[in-house]
Amino acid sequence: MEEDKSKSENPLKVNRRHFFSQLSVGIGSLALGSLLIPDLFKGGKGPVASQPLGIPHFAPKAKRVIYLFQSGAPSQLESFDYKPTLVKRMGEDLPESIRNGQRLTGMTAGQDKFPLMPSAAKFSQHGKSGAWVSEFFPHIAKIADEICIVKSMHTEAINHDPAITFFQTGSQQSGRPSMGSWMSYGLGSENQNLPSFVVLTSRGKGNSQGLYSKLWSSGFLDSKHQGVLLRSGKDPVLYLNDPEGLSRSDKRHLLDHVSSLNKIHHVETGDDEIESRIAQYEMAYRMQMSVPDVMDIKKEPESIIKLYGEESQVPGTYAANCLQARRLAENGVRFIQLYHQGWDQHGNLPNEMAGQAKDVDQASAALILDLKQRGMLEDTLVIWGGEFGRTNYCQGNFDPKNYGRDHHPRAFSIWMAGGGIKPGITYGETDEFGYNIVKNPVHINDFHATIMNNLGLDHEQLIYKYQGRRFRLTDVAGNVVNDILT
Amino acid sequence: MAQKNNSPWVDYVIFGLTIFLIFCLIFESFIDLPGLVAWMGRWHPLILHFPIVLLLMAAALGLFNRIVPNVLLTIATLSALVTAITGFFLGTESAPKGDLIFWHQWMGAGVAFLAVVWYWLSNNHLQQTYLVKGIQVVLILLVGLTGHYGGMITHGEDFLAWPKSKKLEKIPENPLIYEHIVHRVLDNSCIGCHNPNKTKGELLMTSIDELIKGGESGPALVIGDPVNSELIRRLHLPVEDEEHMPPEGKKPLSDNEIQILERWIALGASDTLKLSDLDNSEPLVGLVKKMMDSGTTNSWAKLPKVMDSTLQNLASDYITIKRISSNSQALSISVFLPPDYNSKNITDLKRISNNIIELDLSGIPIGEKEMELVAMCKNLEWLEVDRTPITDAEFIKLSGLAQLRVLKAYETGITDKSVAVLKDLKGLKSLYVWETQISGDGFAQLKEALPNLQLDYGIDPELKTEFIQKDSIVDSIQ
Repeated sequence: MEEDKSKSENPLKVNRRHFFSQLSVGIGSLALGSLLIPDLFKGGKGPVASQPLGIPHFAPKAKRVIYLFQSGAPSQLESFDYKPTLVKRMGEDLPESIRNGQRLTGMTAGQDKFPLMPSAAKFSQHGKSGAWVSEFFPHIAKIADEICIVKSMHTEAINHDPAITFFQTGSQQSGRPSMGSWMSYGLGSENQNLPSFVVLTSRGKGNSQGLYSKLWSSGFLDSKHQGVLLRSGKDPVLYLNDPEGLSRSDKRHLLDHVSSLNKIHHVETGDDEIESRIAQYEMAYRMQMSVPDVMDIKKEPESIIKLYGEESQVPGTYAANCLQARRLAENGVRFIQLYHQGWDQHGNLPNEMAGQAKDVDQASAALILDLKQRGMLEDTLVIWGGEFGRTNYCQGNFDPKNYGRDHHPRAFSIWMAGGGIKPGITYGETDEFGYNIVKNPVHINDFHATIMNNLGLDHEQLIYKYQGRRFRLTDVAGNVVNDILT
Repeated sequence: MAQKNNSPWVDYVIFGLTIFLIFCLIFESFIDLPGLVAWMGRWHPLILHFPIVLLLMAAALGLFNRIVPNVLLTIATLSALVTAITGFFLGTESAPKGDLIFWHQWMGAGVAFLAVVWYWLSNNHLQQTYLVKGIQVVLILLVGLTGHYGGMITHGEDFLAWPKSKKLEKIPENPLIYEHIVHRVLDNSCIGCHNPNKTKGELLMTSIDELIKGGESGPALVIGDPVNSELIRRLHLPVEDEEHMPPEGKKPLSDNEIQILERWIALGASDTLKLSDLDNSEPLVGLVKKMMDSGTTNSWAKLPKVMDSTLQNLASDYITIKRISSNSQALSISVFLPPDYNSKNITDLKRISNNIIELDLSGIPIGEKEMELVAMCKNLEWLEVDRTPITDAEFIKLSGLAQLRVLKAYETGITDKSVAVLKDLKGLKSLYVWETQISGDGFAQLKEALPNLQLDYGIDPELKTEFIQKDSIVDSIQ
């Protein structure tokens, strides 16, 4: 729709393809031929994206998303997928019938044996639902009845970068818009004074993988949908504050003037990015007021700080980011993306993972409790998980106290809560080795389709046409996982 | 029978307008109308009545072998052209053009061109040929069709549909799966042709027994076996298939409805099964709830229409007004605290109060005036007045909001006096009232009055203490 409008406003934007399609329709219809054969000149299904933008396609269950991304891929076998068989068959080689030709990373391809390794963390059942949670996550165990654990996630990617890019953008190759950008594009902003897509990062002591801004890039969508990284510390957004001596009204005059110049330039060139830039200057101007207020956690009472853990007072920690995420959600940010680095345990898994779990366990659980008491779980979807799973066999030396696990794309666990997801259930099953999915697999495309569904978007309808091709977050796949919806 | 020619300038005008119309249609996508010209499009609904009447009159006269007065044909042709052109202008206001506008535009252009051709033939003394008769017949049909499509654009596609006598009843809270859900689906889509009065394929679908008995093609339903049930098989056939049900042209069942039928048959096609009998992990629960939810969406269909321009006028940097879904008149409003707050920002919303379904006033220093606005939102289902300075005096305004489902009033000054107001909100499903002055006694009264209410008075104290006291660290791995 916007595309058509801009075409009528600026003839330079009509490309060859568009010209010919219009011409053929025009002349053909002039002869009224198409009256007789309705589909003669239509050639396709009709207009792209018949749904207006900025409004859900149907009444949503969730208005916003908080995605607690555990970068590096936490092991499902030490967290939510309990496999007693691995204890019984400890040290045995992974049967070929189970591995079934799965490709390996360069890190374990050279191993001649794949000895099965059980979890160093003990498991027990929790809540009315009886969900299995390991001792690494004692706080998450206490909220087992609030969350839906999906044990049957799978992906195609086997290395961090393609895998995390797949999760964030629906494609293993970079360049597509991030899911937060898609949501901003599809749903618009709830609060005009804050970006609709915000990113917060933190880092644990475990083995880390890089995070790149391409993960929250808007790709080919308008750059106003790009994720805004809020930094910890005094200046959450760099260069947001005015230099000393510049009053707010001076700033206003400056912006008005720059904007009028930009508008002239826009009329000349028709470049949409100029409009985005004008909008971003305005957004930054409003953010000068809104951001310091939202980011100031000093307003939180002592009991809330303690709920998230003392660490939530230290800017830049995962706990602080969780608390921040709640404040941003309250203030109408659509998509709040957290990343916690350090989950890539190729070695020294028991110690490293315990440390990583300690970083996130209490704050993640506290976030759920805090959202719940504010009634925000009714319209906020929380997601916790990494980019793939880890192997059931040991990487490196076989030592039950100090082992490692390699990347495993075929099955891993994540959990979700609130926003139209059934609480207190476990969905999907892996085989007794925790290697293959035996029931209810959920692909990343399905995961995206489900999230979009809960936000009131039909994943097949939210389309952006770019370079002659229609793009979706779910590309050409994806089914909504109805069984986990309320 | 020869007619006097018009003065040549009339011919020029008609010729000029025809060329202009052709130009418009060909270069449609390049045309950017100046405001004043676009405004002329607004006259289309007025002018269009002239060519309808005049052309029909002229064509009828011609078909009855009467002389068509030249002045009549001239005015008819001119008005048809002007109507088509103004219609084109009006059409440019709505991009992208839907199917209705598309057909209306081309048929309208067809009417204008045919009229021009007739006018030209008539001026060349070919008034009574069969060609002209043919044009007259086509014109009558085309005028009718164009008018009909135009009517559908303004009044909606189903404006001329048969009035529906059946009024859908509300699905009860804990429905019987057959009676309230399955039967409703069958009643909407199947029973019209499979009832005692009209029994297509000798199949009756009015009861479970009749379904099992079946018709010409054998039993429609096999208990416990949806895959082998003829009913389900036919629902899944491609629409083009002869045997697909409902037949082509009738509205097909939604995926959700088909899945409901399947699960119900798989679970034994019982007529006594209730929603509450089902386990939470049973997919049928979700499917049925989805159908019940779409029922609430339907209740929004009766809301008064609000224009986008009204919403734009009322919205600001600090008040976000959104339609809950596209094409819906139901509104969701979030208010954020501006540096210079004034209650007028909110009380202005009274123009659209009937459309407000969700209202978020969290953290806004609201008082009596704002609560009066809230009281006017009779269709309100979701209200957030948490972290506001309201007390019992303002809270009393909520009585009478019968549709309220979710109410957030934590961190406010309300006391046990407000319990009486809350008790009367029979539709309430979730209530958040921690850090208020409501006593344990008040909560007990509330629970008694509203047994289905999910009452949240904060995080479970035991759990909270555990979280707060044990900043726990897993440091020992055996």
